[in-house]
Order: sequence, then structure tokens, then C-alpha cells
Amino acid sequence: MKFQMRSALLLSAALLAPVLLAAPASAQVATSNAQIVQGLQASVADVPNVSAEALRGLAVAHMKYTGPPESRPPLAIQLDQLAQINVEIEFDLNSAMIKPSSYRTLGSVADAMHNPILLGYKFLVVGNTDTTGTREINLKLSQERADAVMQALATTFRVDPRRLQAVGLGEENLQDVKNPHAAINRRVQIFNLGSTGVLTP
Amino acid sequence: MKLRGLAFAALMALGAAGAAGSAQAQTMSYAQAAGLLAQHCGEDIMKLCRGQNLGNGAIYNCLSQNVGRLSPACAANHEGIRQMTEARAAAQREVHKVCDRDRAQYCPGMVPGDGNIVSCLLEASKVVSQACTSALINAGYNQQ
Repeated sequence: MKFQMRSALLLSAALLAPVLLAAPASAQVATSNAQIVQGLQASVADVPNVSAEALRGLAVAHMKYTGPPESRPPLAIQLDQLAQINVEIEFDLNSAMIKPSSYRTLGSVADAMHNPILLGYKFLVVGNTDTTGTREINLKLSQERADAVMQALATTFRVDPRRLQAVGLGEENLQDVKNPHAAINRRVQIFNLGSTGVLTP
Repeated sequence: MKLRGLAFAALMALGAAGAAGSAQAQTMSYAQAAGLLAQHCGEDIMKLCRGQNLGNGAIYNCLSQNVGRLSPACAANHEGIRQMTEARAAAQREVHKVCDRDRAQYCPGMVPGDGNIVSCLLEASKVVSQACTSALINAGYNQQ
């Protein structure tokens, strides 16, 4: 089963959430966190063996298809079977800087990764661009953006780095191939890669 | 500002080591802290820290280094927000220490390291110690 959460939900929840420190457990926050947790819960017993490195190789190989986006074959990856969410993280133009408007979303992802239900799992952060700009730059930029998200999760929000991998797929894995400039293509995806096994503290 | 006072009050309560065992968390979620940072310092960050990221303390360092140039709201709050993020992280680190006796008693033989123990302690919430209960709450582990 695949659960995709559109980030609009997340962002609207974030905007509505009260900022009173005295009431940390607000309903809106709990709801959006619950949605992320639900989306990221492992849904298959046998998680296919996916790694950031293997995906990077596939993305690079995919660049040999030089025709228009619609003519390129889909990237042959087994990500569809994995529990996953799309999150809308806004970056500064042509930069890996995460805009402050997306900090809360990032914090929600971190909260979900610290939820007891998900504590035993590792995750893959995947960055994607639309087709604006060259494919080489898109590949590089999306890797830097995925790395920036992973870094924030691993340092500021203390998700064990052994639970995280990041890969940028550039414009090689468009969600909306017919509209290669569509905003939905500029997305950060998070996948559950299965159990961490025992991690020594 | 109000935020600062409240943040410090929460930290003081944390320092009191769960004496009262209140059911209210003395920390806030990462989402809330990060949202507050964006709210109070978002414009400062876009102006003074353009190109830098939240990870590795870069934004915090940038704001600290530009303390004289910050907007009043950011100047008043960014340190307190940082402390709330650290308080949540500390609470999450502390859980296994604070709850060790409860783990031995209520979750014997449980394999550590994959959330099993936290889940077991939460299931045993009626019997675990007050200190462990507070630790679980401050770590945000009770909100499922």
C-alpha cells in the first residue's frame, strides 16, 4: 500500500498551528505528524534493497536518453513499493538553501522519525527538480538539496545519521512527465527503507 | 518578549527533574521550535544568512554573529528557540537512562535500539515510574 501525502495539507496545518509555547501538544501538529508517521510506516514485509548509491547510478545512466521528457523511459526503480511521502520543501532559487518557510515542515519530518513507531527504521531522502536548466546541473542541485535536508535532520533535529541516506535524481524521475515544468516535479520524497537492525548508541 | 520568558520557564521546569511529574510536556516538538524560528527570524535569515542551512548549526551561528543586526523579534527569541530544540534533543537522549530500571522491570529481554523499548514503556505507562513517564513525555514519545 502506498500513502502519498500532499504537502499542502502539511503546510496548511503548519500555518494554523498556534504558536503558544504553553500548549505544545496542539491538535493541528499532532494531526500532521500523525499523517507523516502513517505515510512512512513500513507497508511491505520485504523491502526491496534500495540504496542512494544505486539510485544515483540509475539517474546518471538515464541521462543517455536525450529526447524530450515524454520520450524517455521511466527510471526503473523499485521505490513505488516503499512507504513514502512527498514533502514540499522550498529552496532558494538555484540554491540548496532551505527557505525558512519550510523549517516547520522539516521539523515535522524529524518529529515523525523520532516517533516510537518509526524509531526502528531508516529513510531515504530523494531530491527531484523539474526540467528547467540543464540535466547535469539539475542532478547536482537535487543532490545538494537532498543532502541539505538530510544534514538538518541529522544535526539540528538529531535523527541518527545511520538511519539516513540522500540522493538527488535531478529531472530523471519526473512525476508529471506531460508537464515537465509542473511544480509537482520539484519535490522532496522520503522513503522508508526498512529496519535499521540494532544500532548501538 | 513573552516567548523568551515562557521558554525559560519551561527550561527551569526541566531542570527541576520531573519533580511534579506533570502530564504536560516541558519541551516542544521540533516542528514547533522550527516554526517559531521561521516566524521570528525568517526575514533575518533571508537577509543575513542567505545560502546557509539549518544543519550543522550554520543558521544559529549566523544569527549569533549578526546579533546587532537582527530584528527585535529575532534578537529576543532565537536563543530561546535554540534552547527548546536542544531541550527536546536532551530529553530524547535521557529517556533510556531515566527509564533503565523500568525497562529492566517491565520490558525484560527486549532487544534495544529499534524503538521496541520505548513502545514497551509506553504500553506499560500505567506502572512505569513518574520520572520515566516525565522523560517519555518530554521526549515527545507519548504522542502517537
